[in-house]
Amino acid sequence: MPNSRVLLQDAPGKRVLLLGNEAIARGVLEIGIGVVTTYPGTPASEIGDSISAIAAEAGLYMEYSTNEIVAVEVAAGAANSGVRSLTAMKHVGFNVAADAVMTLAYIGVKGGYVIVTAGDPECYSSQNEQDNRFYALLSNLPFLEPSDPQEAKEMTISAIEISEELELPVLLRPTTRVSHTRGPVIYGRLTKPNLKGEFVRDVRRMVMVPSNARPMHVRLLEKLERAREISEASPYNRVVREGTGELGIISSSSAYNYAVEAADLIGLDVGILKLGMTHPLPEKMTGEFLKKHEKIVIVEELEPYLEIQVKAIAKEYAPNVEIYGKTGRLYFPRKGELSTRTVIAGLAEITGKESPINFKKIDEVFSEILKDLPSRPPVLCAGCPHRASFYVIRKVTGENVIYTTDIGCYALGIAPPLNVGDILVCMGASIGTAQGISKVTSKDTIAILGDSTFFHAAIPGLVNAIYNNHKVTLIVLDNLTTAMTGSQPHPGTGVTGMRGSSERILIEKVAEGCGVKYVKVVDPFDIKEAATILKEALQHPGPSVIVFRSPCALMVAREKRRKGAKTVPCEITEKCTNCMACIKLLGCPALILEDKKVTIDEALCMSCGLCVSVCPYNAIECKGNS
Amino acid sequence: MKEFNIVIAGVGGQGILLAAEILGTAALKEGLNVRVSEIHGMAQRGGSVISNIRMGEKVFAPTVLEGTADVLLGFEPIETLRNLKFTSENTFVLMNNEPVLPPGWATKMISFPSVEEIIVKISGFTKNVVVMKAAKLAEEAGSILTRNVVLIGGLAATGRVPTEIGSLKEATCELVPAKYKKMNMRAFKLGYEHVQKNVKPMVF
Repeated sequence: MPNSRVLLQDAPGKRVLLLGNEAIARGVLEIGIGVVTTYPGTPASEIGDSISAIAAEAGLYMEYSTNEIVAVEVAAGAANSGVRSLTAMKHVGFNVAADAVMTLAYIGVKGGYVIVTAGDPECYSSQNEQDNRFYALLSNLPFLEPSDPQEAKEMTISAIEISEELELPVLLRPTTRVSHTRGPVIYGRLTKPNLKGEFVRDVRRMVMVPSNARPMHVRLLEKLERAREISEASPYNRVVREGTGELGIISSSSAYNYAVEAADLIGLDVGILKLGMTHPLPEKMTGEFLKKHEKIVIVEELEPYLEIQVKAIAKEYAPNVEIYGKTGRLYFPRKGELSTRTVIAGLAEITGKESPINFKKIDEVFSEILKDLPSRPPVLCAGCPHRASFYVIRKVTGENVIYTTDIGCYALGIAPPLNVGDILVCMGASIGTAQGISKVTSKDTIAILGDSTFFHAAIPGLVNAIYNNHKVTLIVLDNLTTAMTGSQPHPGTGVTGMRGSSERILIEKVAEGCGVKYVKVVDPFDIKEAATILKEALQHPGPSVIVFRSPCALMVAREKRRKGAKTVPCEITEKCTNCMACIKLLGCPALILEDKKVTIDEALCMSCGLCVSVCPYNAIECKGNS
Repeated sequence: MKEFNIVIAGVGGQGILLAAEILGTAALKEGLNVRVSEIHGMAQRGGSVISNIRMGEKVFAPTVLEGTADVLLGFEPIETLRNLKFTSENTFVLMNNEPVLPPGWATKMISFPSVEEIIVKISGFTKNVVVMKAAKLAEEAGSILTRNVVLIGGLAATGRVPTEIGSLKEATCELVPAKYKKMNMRAFKLGYEHVQKNVKPMVF
């Protein structure tokens, strides 16, 4: 991440290399957004993180909210008091927020309000790859899709302007290849944020009881018609290439980048309609484009969102135009992200032209090489306290227990040799699914989730376990941070997004307050004590909660670097028989084989001492840290 | 300028994202259009990581097309091999000679190509291969964490990237923490001099 000073420079015209998410943060500063709320999630995290680093200096308010719906509610309150606001989340976070968004669409907003929902085609760091463009149709809200960092910044600004014109929240959807692509961004002028709002009582507009909701739904549909006019005139919807032939391409988002390059590489004479405001679609503009061509190719990632709407438009404007995409015959994959290659393949098939690159040959040649290569999936870091927790859980419970797991680094516990995790659905689902499993099977059930996830989504599930007498054990792996997304603070850390301090909410106190009778806190590196407690918890007749508390290894390493402290790596002594118990039981990346001898990778070892505890020959020494 | 494509391949935690950002920033300093693509989140935890840098007037896609990389910068031998599909016979490969063993391979005893075998395989596809011991030079500079800057220095010495050495140095200074600037400049110099003095492109 660039120095936060870079984002704050008031240097109109300056060209800076920014990550798509940083560009959105710059947009926040240029349009003077006063309130930013977020729950971190890849690929959206750096939007909130960039703002958090500069919020105090920039004079705006930023918070890491408990979860996405709370983030939307906080911002909706601010926006309806006239203060410009933004909420950022990943695509699946929008499912959590949806209840608020659907009805906020009826109420609308007074100050501009943008909701950023970053998509993750290919599931690089997500449990699904849902196409959130359908939320535009579901909510009737305007929808913008940037294709690069420059557009991500511009669209953040435009989203606020459109939002204020229509008095509606506007949705902005980058995808991984926009959020996590760096590109040149040209700076505009900064606007001082206004944080001073006023809430004007207006019950018929603001209080969505049925008698008010019915007319506000009508009002929303009227706004949608005005939004269509905005879309027709939007600079983001334009024919970027006229073409002289029969072929036209319609594309949006990162798919557009692949489409342009693929068309050029094949050497197609093609008209290109680039859509950036994809709800409501510019019907007339699209219809006129269809009329000019005989064949239309829709290049879009994931679902045929544009295609089904373009087909409806074609019925009115150009009923004879042929439309190629992914309804009916599949010319482009409907799963995963697109690439220049997949677009070349689709275009070549549709036009009957040759691909300029012989991909088949490349695949044949390199499949030979890949066949012999060991795969390298992500693993828990050396020194990760989750490894100690999973070791204890495995040691105590063996094979006869069902482990429901959750969203976070600890999902990596499913990999051998730890093998902990039998079902994973979404944030907080571990505690809920555990109850259903325990109800209908005779097995002990352990739900596993992290500290940030506990606050985000597990409390209603925990209350349910107590209320409905489900005998499950909840293990909270509390590493004192939101680790997977880049170490953001949460309600259990006592630190806020403004970098100030607040009341630290203790998970064990919440559990006790909910009525759990067996609640214990233990350091998972204290293997003996942790095992004793887990055995007790499993014996407990009702729901039980154990907090395995130990800080994230990355956080510890950062702290050490900051203080200039060195880690003295563990050492293997001559007592080692090379039985490999440590490697087989723990799978720690710092335990390696060198010349067939168990060795410690000194650069990776965090000196956590877990291998010392499991070595049957006391052959590993941990001298601790200087 | 025709577009120029760099693929960086390695293991999460080796400093690949910073290397990519340095290359992208240096190109921007010289007025080029740039796209740098990264993968964050779960994939970063010790897994295979790749980053793409594309420079030139007409770059749209953030990712490099198979068979079109001008440079493959390998932070780790197996990961270099894994990403050969991006290369052609014209690609220049600069590879760090420092295997990181995939987790779990020890217990499964899966076969594992040696660095020598890997170099032979790569040179079957392109004759432009330079191998350097970046980890050793990074330690010499003051920290293994400067491995990425050693490799950038090495790449600068090959003259195979369209960015000037000055821009690469400037970008490095801007992007590393202020207190590690000197150490990283040492790393850059060590990488640069090592390739300049000792390494002749291998010819097979």
